[in-house]
Amino acid sequence: MSYQNYVVAAYAVFAVVLLWDFVAPRVEIRRQLRAAKLRATRAAARAVPDELSRQAVE
Amino acid sequence: MHPLVRWFHQLGSPPYFDRFAARWAPVSYVLAVLVMAYGLWAALFQVPADYQQGDSFRILYIHVPSAWMSLFVFGLMAFYAAIALVWRIKLCEILAMACAAPGAAFTLITLATGSIWGKPMWGTWWDWDPRLTTELILLFLYLGVIGLYNAIEDRRAAARAAGLLAIVGVALLPVIRYSVVWWNSLHQGQTISLFGQSHMDASMLPPLFAMIVATKLWFVGSLLTRARADNLRREAGKDWVLRQAQGTLTQVKEAAR
Repeated sequence: MSYQNYVVAAYAVFAVVLLWDFVAPRVEIRRQLRAAKLRATRAAARAVPDELSRQAVE
Repeated sequence: MHPLVRWFHQLGSPPYFDRFAARWAPVSYVLAVLVMAYGLWAALFQVPADYQQGDSFRILYIHVPSAWMSLFVFGLMAFYAAIALVWRIKLCEILAMACAAPGAAFTLITLATGSIWGKPMWGTWWDWDPRLTTELILLFLYLGVIGLYNAIEDRRAAARAAGLLAIVGVALLPVIRYSVVWWNSLHQGQTISLFGQSHMDASMLPPLFAMIVATKLWFVGSLLTRARADNLRREAGKDWVLRQAQGTLTQVKEAAR
């Protein structure tokens, strides 16, 4: 194949950019869902009264 | 109400859109990969080498579809942004902004592959030719839209500001399209026409059409996935997002067992 290095370089750029385009939004979705789970865990922990707050009420 | 109209209204609901995007984005990606696999195979191994350019002309099969996508996606982004500005439809804001990254990706591919092709054919990586320069300005416009959208904290205000930039930027599209006609350009004129006579041999066209279809399908997958990510980001804290997160984690745990 003539100009093989140029052809390979061009197709490599195409593959790398499309791979980034595929991976980046998936990482963002996973990050958002994990953040939602963490927020829910923190909210649940705040809802349960701890030892000190029970003593203050008594 | 007509079922299609009802579906269109339902699609505006964030949880409904999330389910829709999660379902159809993978389908679009799979179809894109299948069509692209044929297109790439035919482009690299089936089509004969060009009598003047040799095998370097095979770069055309990724350069031309990406260039068309770079213009098409910008036009679509401006279309969604105009609807979002006039009717304040949140989903259109999300879709407009989701267009920017894949559009920038296709523009980057266009510039990079054109440059790689230009080195052996023109003897230079870059020339301040009208077509190349206007395509570079298009990349800067895409980056401007992405930057503006992420620079403002209020998502809706950010989408309106970035959308306005997209609408103004549409003026560049005909300049890119006709730059090879209006000015003396190093870049070749139009050789491929979807509906008219192409100046390419018919045996070279099928992989090109396959790649044009494949990039469109890929874009649909990317658009839905990115819009889903932005939708989740905007709706953070809502019950349906939490249910979605717990559902996804349960699925992951079940798959791991």
